[in-house]
Amino acid sequence: MKAILATVISLALTTVVIGNAYYQKKQFYPSIVYLTNSNPSMAVMYLQAFILVLLVGKLLRKIFFGQLRPAEFEHLIERSWYAITETCLAFTVFRDDFNPKFIALFTLLLFLKAFHWLAEDRVDYMERSPVIGWLFHVRILSLLMLLAYADSYFIFHAYQVTASKGPSVQLVFGFEYSILIIMIANILIKYALHAIDSRWETPWESKAAVLLYTELAINFLKVLLYIGFVAVMVRIYTLPLFAFRPMYETMRSFKKAYNDVVLSRRAIRNMNTLYPDATAAELAAADNECIICREEMHSGAKKLPCNHIFHAACLRLWFQRQQTCPTCRLNVLRAPAPSPDAGPAPAQRANPAPAPGPGAVPGQAPPQAGAVPPPFPNMPPPPMMSWGIPPPPPPRPASLATLTTAELQRMEGTERRNIEARLQLLREIQAMLDASVLLMQQYSAVVTNLPQNQSTVATQTDAVPIETVETPKVKVKVEPDVVPTTSSHQSLSAPSTSGVKLPPVDTPELSSRDKTDTDAEELRRRRLQKFTMDK
Amino acid sequence: MAGSALRRLMAEYKQLTLNPPEGIIAGPVNEENFFEWEALITGPEGTCFEGGIFPAKLIFPPDYPLSPPKMQFICEMFHPNIYADGRVCISILHAPGDDPMGYESSAERWSPVQSVEKILLSVVSMLAEPNDESGANVDAAKMWREDREQFNKIAERLVRNTLGLPPP
Repeated sequence: MKAILATVISLALTTVVIGNAYYQKKQFYPSIVYLTNSNPSMAVMYLQAFILVLLVGKLLRKIFFGQLRPAEFEHLIERSWYAITETCLAFTVFRDDFNPKFIALFTLLLFLKAFHWLAEDRVDYMERSPVIGWLFHVRILSLLMLLAYADSYFIFHAYQVTASKGPSVQLVFGFEYSILIIMIANILIKYALHAIDSRWETPWESKAAVLLYTELAINFLKVLLYIGFVAVMVRIYTLPLFAFRPMYETMRSFKKAYNDVVLSRRAIRNMNTLYPDATAAELAAADNECIICREEMHSGAKKLPCNHIFHAACLRLWFQRQQTCPTCRLNVLRAPAPSPDAGPAPAQRANPAPAPGPGAVPGQAPPQAGAVPPPFPNMPPPPMMSWGIPPPPPPRPASLATLTTAELQRMEGTERRNIEARLQLLREIQAMLDASVLLMQQYSAVVTNLPQNQSTVATQTDAVPIETVETPKVKVKVEPDVVPTTSSHQSLSAPSTSGVKLPPVDTPELSSRDKTDTDAEELRRRRLQKFTMDK
Repeated sequence: MAGSALRRLMAEYKQLTLNPPEGIIAGPVNEENFFEWEALITGPEGTCFEGGIFPAKLIFPPDYPLSPPKMQFICEMFHPNIYADGRVCISILHAPGDDPMGYESSAERWSPVQSVEKILLSVVSMLAEPNDESGANVDAAKMWREDREQFNKIAERLVRNTLGLPPP
């Protein structure tokens, strides 16, 4: 109703303005000159043109889209506001070229952009609706062809003008239409994928992967275009503020696409290396239904360490987001202890066994880390083990007779890795113990010398840090505990001679100079205790 | 065939139509778009919401069931776990890692194992037993704790409202 009213009013105004001009000047050319020179008349003409554009837009929308869904409409309005703001910013850069033709070109650009957005939303909608008729395909295809033609025409035009007359505002148009034509390519690819998918009876598993890589490539192209455009604009005109928001968004979506691809690849790799295929018997026991997609599982099902079974494709999509079992939320990346009712062989294979090894010695890459890659970057570190307790032996299958030859061989492989990991661990423990004994000796020497002669203490404490450097490599780990012990004495005699930040001195009994050996003994005992408990 | 999200939603719709849980009706608003559902929830018996029929809409993301749907009551609601605009705030509707109130454990979050039916059942139990620690509607939470009588009065008005009856 409002639209009709606006149309009628603007039509009436235009008639009045033109009639007035013709009435005053009586001839065609003078009336045109009069119209273009009078600001109020021009305002009315602009308004009329705007209304006409809207009407054409409505007509085209009716032809190509029919009724817009509320979500589509909201999306359109939201994007239009951004686009209009950016267009106004662009006007400021090119204010010298400001004329009706210039405004008309920008309006046309906005107009075409709006149809690109609508087409994109419509193609996304394909995935959501079970009923896609032939009319839908005809509309989308013809619209995409038309838009692609318009885009390429304007790119060509912009190229010609720039080549013949040097850089002008056509640079912006050429760039904007290039972005739009990339968008068309993206929409076409998506459309083709959805169309193929909807023809097939079985779900198309690699569609998600194809979409991921398309997204990555398209976003990469766009980022390149934006960077090139900004570089050219900075050289010729000034900083193109109006391109910054879309550029930032493109970069963000490129980063997201890249992360998605990385996560997806990781998920696939883990799927292939860590989890066994479910057997037919296991599938039957689990009702044959994949709880993620609620469909039957025939083949390609994977079993997690917690015995839950899913489609490999479904699981892969889920693992891109989260590394837990969808059913029981077991973190599949932590080396899980198989549940008591676990079937022996798969649990043994699925258990990323060496995890306790590298986990116990953080900061030192154990040699077997390459064999089973630490699967995800956000993996929480495995729980620290206290030094007193040896790492628990890997779970043993109930009976070796139930295993097939291949499973046995595979198990032997992991057994060997486990033993190697344990030996490595023991060697490291020994090195650390040697280092700590050495340190304790130095420490006791320092403490016994302390009350008698202060000057010797100073020299000896100076000597200690040098010693620590010379001790084996493993000792680096022990240092945080060693440095405070020596430096707490330095704070008595020669404060902060070393560059080490001093922790608060926690030995009040040391503050008195005349200490007996029993004090030192007590301190040593406590240090030792703390040492064994901390590590 | 169609996308996996669509197929799963169709499967759930079929399941809900064949074996409807008591007191719950749900289905797509329009069978051309399976990603917008409407649900009717009856107030649980023996609570202040007893007898009411509360309409709500469910909006599903394109990657359902990997991400949870959003649920919003379209009638007026007054409840500690429902925002003033009707959005429902329960942990089952939050993806792990997004915790608006900052206290939910990931064990009760969304996972693909959940379903529309489980969400609606959780909402029914939420109506019966509000969690007054989550402050989606702080006024309602405060009233639920301190002035239960007043809360019950408001609930009764809402119940009558949903049934099209004049307030008592």
